[in-house]
Amino acid sequence: MRTGISELAKRLQSREISAMELTKAYIGAIEKLNPTINAYVYLTFDTAMKAAEKADQRLKEGGAPLLCGIPMALKDNICTDGLNTTCCSKILKGFKPYYDATVWEKLKAHGAVLLGKTNMDEFAMGSTSETSCYGAPLNPRNTNYVTGGSSGGSAAAVCANLAVYSLGSDTGGSIRQPASFCGVVGLKPTYGAVSRYGLIAYGSSLDQIGPMTNSVKDAAIVFDAIKGGDRRDQTSVDYDYGSSLAECLDRDVKGMRIGVAEEFFDGINPEIKSKIEEAIKLFERNGAVIENIRLPALKLALPVYYIIACAEASSNLGRYDGIRYGYRTSSYTSIEDMIVKTRSEGFGDEVKRRIMLGTYVLSSGYYDAYYKKACLIREEINREFDAVFEKCDVLVAPTAPNTAFPLNYKGAGPVEMYLSDICTVPVNIAGVPAISVPCGEDSNGLPVGMQIIGKKFDEATVLQAAHFYEQSAGEVIGVYEGGARI
Amino acid sequence: MKISKTEVEKLAKLAKLSFSDEELERFTAEFDEIIAFADTINQSIEGGTEQIRSVGARMVSFDDLRPDEVVPSLPNEKILSNVEGYNGFFGLERSKK
Amino acid sequence: MNYEIVCGIETHIELATKTKIFCGCTTEFGGEPNTHCCPVCTGQPGSLPILNQKVVEYAIKAGLALNCKINTKSHMDRKNYVYPDLPKAYQISQYDEPLCEKGYIELDSGKRIGITRIHIEEDAGKLVHENGYTYIDYNRSGVPLIEIVSEPDISSAEEAREYAEKLQLIMRYIGISDCKMQEGSMRCDVNLSLRKPGDSRFGVRTEIKNINSLSFIQKAVMAEAERQADILDAGGTVVQQTMRYDEATNSVSPMRDKENSDDYRYFPDPDILRFSINDEKVEEIRASLPELPFDKLKRYVNVLGLPEATARQIFRYRKVAEFFEGALAEGASVKNAANLIVGTIFSNMDTEEEKELFDIRISAAQFAALVKLADEKKINIGVAQSTLQKMLESGKPVEEFIKPEDLAGISDEELESLCKEAIDANPKAVADVRSGKDKAINVMFGYIMKKTGGKADIRKAEVLLRKLIGQ
Repeated sequence: MRTGISELAKRLQSREISAMELTKAYIGAIEKLNPTINAYVYLTFDTAMKAAEKADQRLKEGGAPLLCGIPMALKDNICTDGLNTTCCSKILKGFKPYYDATVWEKLKAHGAVLLGKTNMDEFAMGSTSETSCYGAPLNPRNTNYVTGGSSGGSAAAVCANLAVYSLGSDTGGSIRQPASFCGVVGLKPTYGAVSRYGLIAYGSSLDQIGPMTNSVKDAAIVFDAIKGGDRRDQTSVDYDYGSSLAECLDRDVKGMRIGVAEEFFDGINPEIKSKIEEAIKLFERNGAVIENIRLPALKLALPVYYIIACAEASSNLGRYDGIRYGYRTSSYTSIEDMIVKTRSEGFGDEVKRRIMLGTYVLSSGYYDAYYKKACLIREEINREFDAVFEKCDVLVAPTAPNTAFPLNYKGAGPVEMYLSDICTVPVNIAGVPAISVPCGEDSNGLPVGMQIIGKKFDEATVLQAAHFYEQSAGEVIGVYEGGARI
Repeated sequence: MKISKTEVEKLAKLAKLSFSDEELERFTAEFDEIIAFADTINQSIEGGTEQIRSVGARMVSFDDLRPDEVVPSLPNEKILSNVEGYNGFFGLERSKK
Repeated sequence: MNYEIVCGIETHIELATKTKIFCGCTTEFGGEPNTHCCPVCTGQPGSLPILNQKVVEYAIKAGLALNCKINTKSHMDRKNYVYPDLPKAYQISQYDEPLCEKGYIELDSGKRIGITRIHIEEDAGKLVHENGYTYIDYNRSGVPLIEIVSEPDISSAEEAREYAEKLQLIMRYIGISDCKMQEGSMRCDVNLSLRKPGDSRFGVRTEIKNINSLSFIQKAVMAEAERQADILDAGGTVVQQTMRYDEATNSVSPMRDKENSDDYRYFPDPDILRFSINDEKVEEIRASLPELPFDKLKRYVNVLGLPEATARQIFRYRKVAEFFEGALAEGASVKNAANLIVGTIFSNMDTEEEKELFDIRISAAQFAALVKLADEKKINIGVAQSTLQKMLESGKPVEEFIKPEDLAGISDEELESLCKEAIDANPKAVADVRSGKDKAINVMFGYIMKKTGGKADIRKAEVLLRKLIGQ
């Protein structure tokens, strides 16, 4: 396994290596590999070197936090003061916010070194990162395949060791699914655990920022640094996690009640299904209690997700009108015409489809049948999850029904692509935390991801179960050879 | 067909989007499929008439709301930093060739 | 006219909070363009709204003052429409869970105009169209508003005006807004339709937007009612549309549609949690309300015994009423205090605004000290008036102008000798009085007042004079 954050921190703190040397190693790797992999869409090497220099100063003084001097990456929808933040959309080309997202403000305070902004599906809408206006990132494990999405660049950067860790955002699986496709760890925290301030909104009641890393422990370290309530995000919660989650990972699964819902396994690729079943057996062998449970409303989670996410998106994306920032069309006959042209030229097809669907489900005459109904079913899904967590500590499920798609795979159309989010969206609808950890490879050598889902604000148990699995299962997937050499 | 071209055009107008004839053709077909998919929620579970709340059932009390204390605004240069400004105003020509 | 007017008014009022509804930017009026702004109120990507507590408190105050039921649970909705003055392309407002519902305003006639609802929302920015360009200033964007919607209970132009006037007065009184219609901190939209008397169905209604003075409300209702009556009389039908009132021509005409669609796609704003206000909080806010203006008016007339005309002049300005009541608390008499305010202090104030501000240089206690001298007849009203004027100009207390020795000065003996002096000095006037020209006694009054600097008790002097003249 690759060197983890705490090991790197030790070496930095002991001055065995400097933050500037470490950063240079990553810059070198990015220069070499990024032209192919396209994980990054905007590079911030100058600011990275300055941050590394400052980090070295702090490291010399001693008492620096774990993340001080560690090179990392942010998804292109997380606002960075003075640095491009474009959601990989033409409509935000060149946009430089003059404020930091709260997560970035926190990481900066820890001494993080930002290497650049990572590729993603336009406005986080997609499952392959192919809707990016900068072209798709490629899966480092096999460049004929996609990284998954929408946080595809963040997954690829970590997978190819072009960053020690990255942040992604997850509205319906956008951290977990690409983590699964690229064979890395991705944590979607409880809704409200991490501030959304400065995260460019897609579906506001579902969006959540989380870490993408090489190990569960790294995910816990990064989550420790970014979590917490924020007075600038009313939906954030100042939950008292007690102590550092990274320090209480070592727990076995004896007596842990692990729920398995058959609804999560409907229509799943048999290779994936068997990998997850192996993992479940591992838990069972180690004393976990396996509970077979039912989540009947789960079959409605997908349409509910698309209705709610798109309704919110249609409203959130109304502001891209060419007036205050971003792209503006070159010729027009009136302001109204300017707005329509700017939006029609600036947004890609998938974004337009979702804006249209969102507009439709909120429009008069359809609101009750779609949006309102979806909200009611959402409550029902929440109740089912609540009931299940009376009986279980965590649920185990596949992260995705399939491994990475080949590039340019169109399938039967947009809806088929939507269906591939089946395993991840229920988690966002319920607002609970979930992690994806690698649990093997399919016959093509593509990684398979296992999802562990927990109760609200019980990231601790989720991380413990995932950590136990990771430590017990050993090397379930190959290590990507390449990227930065330290 | 769940939806007609005219309805798609009406929605586009609301969403401030425009489509060429060819795009509209393709889009209507796709959209029809998407709505059929969204419609699956109407094939099951009878929803009640209970009022919808924002972000689930979480609520805050009056005392949790933001106190009325002024925070300094940002300088005009920042506010206009992503666009061409006109003496401190946002602005644009009403038509442009 | 053969029709009955059915009219309702929607009023937008800017709240006098320090900060905007969803961010900490100041609500101060004016300022260089786009200087009272931040990522939140300019709709920057990634920014999030945080609801201002004071806005909720002020809206509840308004609701309580208008006899509304306060909803203890409420939430914000998004009203979606695209326009350059609206930076997020949605206005955060309230749709199906407004803070207040079901209140009323009572007109002088005793008729009640129902209040359907009061909700909170954000104002938009300001557009300036010039030389083929449109310029945008977002300083106003996010300034808190309440929208007060009346029932269609108004049935005449006069009632429309009275409703708006009373609403304005009450809102100013409770201190939640200055309600300056000219500056746009109070704006009225009037909905109006006509129907035949006795008809229970409503006619087709029109909406007249953004009326910016009380008298224009009255005129606009009159003009629109006439316009609709003409259409109906000619056998036509009224078209449901948005109208504009033109004060120069006193006419109402259709507005060009800025939004051709009004499908606002309201839905609960996922960024703002639903909020609750418990009964104790509501009661706490109720307790913070001042005596409401029309309760005060009734008390001034019925309890204090002020003539209604005088009472009306005082009660309508909260600060004046406070000053008046402050003086009464210091022992001033109702009548003299009221008359000196209306007669002397108001003569220094030309505009409604000045009376509203009531920025004067003396305190209620200083004013009371003067009034009491008049009450105790130590000075007469004329002197009280002129002294008050000097006090207002200088900001100095009454002692600066009237010394204690001046007041103690005139004993009965002194007054008697002064009267004798006055008789000796004015033989012609004495003769005139004796021959029945009673007014001639004023000559002697003048003499005595001049000699005493106005401090003599003129009634006592009259008795003495008549006795000495032998009448």
